[in-house]
Amino acid sequence: MSLALQVSDVKARFGDLEILKGVDIDVPFGEVHVLMGPNGSGKSTLCHVLMGKTDYEATGSALVDGTEVLGLPVDERARAGLFEAFQYPVEVPGVSLDDLISEMGEVREDPGFADRVEAAAEALDMERFRQRAVNNDLSGGEKKRSEMFQLAVAKPKVAILDEVDSGLDIDAVREVAHLVEELRSDDLGVLIITHYSRILRYMKPDKIHVMVAGKVVRTGGPEIAAELEASGYVDLVDGEATVSAPDVTPFDV
Amino acid sequence: MKTLDSQASAALGTADPGWLSERRKQALDYFEKLPMPSPVEEVWRYVDLDFDIASYSIVENPGEAHELGVGIAAALPDTSGSLLIVDGHVVSSENTEGRVSFGSIRSILAADPDLLEPFLGVAVPSDLDKFAAAHAAFGGEGAALVVPRGVVVEKPFFVDVQATENGSVSFPHVSLSVGESAQASVVLRYRSDDGLDSLVVPQLELNVGANAQLKVTVVQHWGRGTRSISHVRGIVGRDANLHLGEAGLGGLLSRLNLTVDLEGNGSSANVVSAYFGDENQTLDYRYTMHHQGVNTNSDMFLKGAVQDEALSVFTGMIRIDEGAQKTDAYQTNRNLILSDGASAQSVPNLEILADDVRCGHGSTVGPLDDDQRYYLMSRGLDELRANRLLVHGFFNEALARFPEPAIAGVVTSWIDAKYREAQEAGRV
Ligand SMILES: Nc1ncnc2c1ncn2[C@@H]1O[C@H](COP(=O)(O)OP(=O)(O)OP(=O)(O)O)[C@@H](O)[C@H]1O
Ligand SMILES: [Mg+2]
Repeated sequence: MSLALQVSDVKARFGDLEILKGVDIDVPFGEVHVLMGPNGSGKSTLCHVLMGKTDYEATGSALVDGTEVLGLPVDERARAGLFEAFQYPVEVPGVSLDDLISEMGEVREDPGFADRVEAAAEALDMERFRQRAVNNDLSGGEKKRSEMFQLAVAKPKVAILDEVDSGLDIDAVREVAHLVEELRSDDLGVLIITHYSRILRYMKPDKIHVMVAGKVVRTGGPEIAAELEASGYVDLVDGEATVSAPDVTPFDV
Repeated sequence: MKTLDSQASAALGTADPGWLSERRKQALDYFEKLPMPSPVEEVWRYVDLDFDIASYSIVENPGEAHELGVGIAAALPDTSGSLLIVDGHVVSSENTEGRVSFGSIRSILAADPDLLEPFLGVAVPSDLDKFAAAHAAFGGEGAALVVPRGVVVEKPFFVDVQATENGSVSFPHVSLSVGESAQASVVLRYRSDDGLDSLVVPQLELNVGANAQLKVTVVQHWGRGTRSISHVRGIVGRDANLHLGEAGLGGLLSRLNLTVDLEGNGSSANVVSAYFGDENQTLDYRYTMHHQGVNTNSDMFLKGAVQDEALSVFTGMIRIDEGAQKTDAYQTNRNLILSDGASAQSVPNLEILADDVRCGHGSTVGPLDDDQRYYLMSRGLDELRANRLLVHGFFNEALARFPEPAIAGVVTSWIDAKYREAQEAGRV
């Protein structure tokens, strides 16, 4: 399979703060990958840098289906096939979800768009949110559901889901996981950022990447999740800081 | 054309009933004594009155009215009555609602000289300023609605106010009174051609009887050369509600001085404005919500945008009298600055003399929100499109609170178009 997303040596800083220190991640089409890592390790920053938030100064390369997106305006990245479901979806008062969806349709000129909207609205039980303002006064879980709805509607080539399972009750987590599995297709690569292996019970990621302090320090199969669950990130963090320390068990499977 | 002098005032007053004649004479006296307001006065701060009312004249024969635009006509398919005022003269009026008095002030005075006495020229004191004095001295014509006790009118009344003559000043007066437990809705539209140099000094007097409801929707669409200095005063009785929506779109200078008195216990008012200034427009709002009764409730909600070199001003005041316990009052003013040369002043004030009240205010002035734009763009919307959607959403919050949703819909499309034009011209 060719690569949906190819991130190579992405570095990013916010002012003087160096956040990403050379990130490499490949997500082939048809696969679902997971990115884990301790708080503050740079996962959301990676999402924003890929999506094009201008707060950060970024270098390196990020290809979406072969198109370099770093340097492109945000909207062009989206239209190149990149979608980010936000960890903290922005409230847009006064703009209804339907207004936004209809604008998304207009910029896409995709004949299947309208049907997808109806199907996804039905599948995600979004009807009652469509006339409400985007993310405004929605509960945490409702916001995530709205992000998933937009994802289904946008039909991207690369979907990055930043903590889409945070704040969800157990049923909703399962629902999101199933939705991801349903979206899985040869036209899509998915990168899910999560803190919980919970969501992994309901889906089968192809790979797990672990980010620590702005770098991907490990990539492996789904079994990594169980290890992290058992031992946390401490070993990895220490391993980063004190590479030569003899008592550090290298994290290998 | 007649200049504003005692002769003109006397001539205009020949048909006045005695009580009105007295008020007119008194007002003329004020007019002659009061100077043009100056920006050193607190109430005229921010506003450059670079003209003299004396340089404008009264029109004796009204010019030709402009036809109603398709948008607003479609939004008012069915009215209870309509009335057209051109250059201060009522040129046509019809009333299909037999249970109420609706028509020109002159015709209603002729039919019943005392019907309007409690209302006409009472709510806005003629010594308030030079313009209020001029209005009382040289005005007197306009629209009047008197809804008797218990009468509920479903379909709105429409009052169309236009200016057509260069160098003209007019004083359209709109007096709306709904009796106890009565209900009515009135839509007002102001219009003139761009480039017409005219001055209009309208006055709205709104009397809402006990347990009554009055809805008023004002669409201010003056042309770019027209200055308007307008006074609105509402008096709300026990358990009554005044719901007023105003869209400020046009005018070279549009000043709206509004005071609502929540006199009756349990009375309430919702006052909402959406204004959008561009080029060299000045939009000046001075709103006072005066809580007098016990258990009164008010919400002032204004959202405005300015672009190019436009200036907007909001000076809000919630005044809660000593005895007005259990008041619940809020004022919100949010402003969008869409280009560097534009500016907005927002000055909310509170004056609270009672101790058992809930009262608050929110005021912001700033550009479109970067995070919101980023979010919309991450969905594939280009920057211009994202900005348009944000401007639309910004105003939608105010327009959704308008009394007549169909009129709000028309205003929405005007606002969207105004912003889009500026985008297409590269001004924003
Ligand atoms: N806009 C910003 N301004 C200041 N600091 C920032 C900004 N964005 C990120 N950072 C800092 O960069 C680091 C990485 O943050 P980021 O949000 O990417 O972490 P994360 O891995 O997503 O964490 P979490 O698991 O808590 O969501 C943190 O120390 C954070 O404070
Ligand atoms: Mg994060």
